[in-house]
Amino acid sequence: MLLDYDRLGWLRAALLGFTGLVAAFLLLPVVFIVLLSFGSSRWLAFPPPSWTLKWYEELFADPAWLNAALTSARIATMAAILAVIIGLMASFALVRGQFRGRNTLRGLLLTPMVLPVVVFAIAIYAFFLRIGLGGTTAGFVIAHTVLALPFAIIPITAALEGFDKSIEDAAIVCGASPFEAKLRVTLPAIKIGIFSAAIFAFLASWDEVVVAIFMASPTLQTLPVKIWGSLRQDLSPVIAAASSLLVLLTLGLMVVTALIRRKLSK
Amino acid sequence: MSGNLLHRPPILRRPDGTGGALPALTLITLFFVVPVLALLLRSVTEPVPGLQNYAILFGDGTYARVFFNTFLVATVVTAVTVIVAFPVAWMLAIMPPALGSIVFGIIILSMWTNLLTRTYAWMVLLQRTGVINRMLMDVGLISEPLPLINNLTGVTIGMVYIMLPFMILPLVGTLRAIDPMTLRAAALCGASPFDAFRRILLPLSLPGIAAGGLMVFVMSLGYFVTPTLLGGTSNMMLAGMIAQMIQSLLNWGLGSAAAFILLLVTMALYALQLRLVGAKRMTGGI
Repeated sequence: MLLDYDRLGWLRAALLGFTGLVAAFLLLPVVFIVLLSFGSSRWLAFPPPSWTLKWYEELFADPAWLNAALTSARIATMAAILAVIIGLMASFALVRGQFRGRNTLRGLLLTPMVLPVVVFAIAIYAFFLRIGLGGTTAGFVIAHTVLALPFAIIPITAALEGFDKSIEDAAIVCGASPFEAKLRVTLPAIKIGIFSAAIFAFLASWDEVVVAIFMASPTLQTLPVKIWGSLRQDLSPVIAAASSLLVLLTLGLMVVTALIRRKLSK
Repeated sequence: MSGNLLHRPPILRRPDGTGGALPALTLITLFFVVPVLALLLRSVTEPVPGLQNYAILFGDGTYARVFFNTFLVATVVTAVTVIVAFPVAWMLAIMPPALGSIVFGIIILSMWTNLLTRTYAWMVLLQRTGVINRMLMDVGLISEPLPLINNLTGVTIGMVYIMLPFMILPLVGTLRAIDPMTLRAAALCGASPFDAFRRILLPLSLPGIAAGGLMVFVMSLGYFVTPTLLGGTSNMMLAGMIAQMIQSLLNWGLGSAAAFILLLVTMALYALQLRLVGAKRMTGGI
């Protein structure tokens, strides 16, 4: 009975109430930050004495914010593309390869997701200082590709495991080259996995703070580094304005994801 | 998929795409394994060869406090996350889809919102003059603002907030996989709801709780951002200490030794988790 929604009785009301509270808890900071960004109090009094757009004006007047956002977008796009391509190739080997140590390889490729980022951050920071990649876009992209790779491999291997290989074989038997068969039969069939991989890999880089804090230079700052720097100084409402735009972006990404998933799964 | 290898045309018999793993392997070896090993090497070579960095870390009460604190925070965060996540996952597993998708949407929105944005919101909400303290004082529950930030309370609230989706989402999968019939049978046989919960639902969802809980614990152990921003100096955690040793004190030897300890504990727990649930189940949350 405990798993029958319609027969839970009083327990259902209690559990639904609790779920509602948790949902409110999860929503609270997101909604709060958006409201705060329109409040006029520099000291973040809430509810604010009046409403204003001045924090957004201040945000757009400072080119450092826009530059940081563009830097982030550039690095995240490159890291996501690299992670998806490398992850796609690795996924074929992980799902279909018949070699010893396949599970070890899988574990190794997923380790960057498990190892505390701070350990990787100082390791790659020291390494890049030594080989001259410190504070460069290339260094950023490489480090973020490493971190994004597990997020690309997981959805793609999952999609590939659900794909019946005999369909690809059929294309080969009908005269397609193995490469052509993959390109025109297999890839379209696992496109949802690839699409999820791209989104997750992009977010893994776009949202990444710790490596970025170590790697950043005065001339190369990603958006999280810029927010981090401002947070450590004061809790200026300009951060709320920047944060609200990020929330808007997240919502946009969710809608686009839902739409594309629906379209792809047809 | 390759059960009838002999009956397949020769063109299909070659092993498929093993070499495809090479770029990934190269990337991870060159830019992950090598840098991490080089870092660990520094822990026994700087400033002079030997184990003195580890002797310092284990011999000093200040560092013992940081270790203790790290485990304390991770334990508290895991416990609270499990207790809060379970009822939500339970409801999500059986809710009508229309209602459930709203809750799922909120969970995804919270999870995908920039980490610093969420932490910033909690910094403002929890501060002395923040909304929560003001509200509690207006209602008359408290007369003085509660210290909600720069202490264990602040870190716990901020971390539970971040970890909840990682616990709820896999747990929904576990609960959905339980056959409702077993619980109907229990009820028919006269079990009270409490008995059915304690003796059937809870044991059957234990693998999911263990897997999710371990994941939250491991993630919390090495967390840097939230404890640094919401915690105080008196309850610094290991990741924050490592960053400080490298960034402000430039003490690479000690910093890498602390990093090695964090790595060792994390990897040991990761291995335990793989044994408990298998690699595939663990990543089911994504």
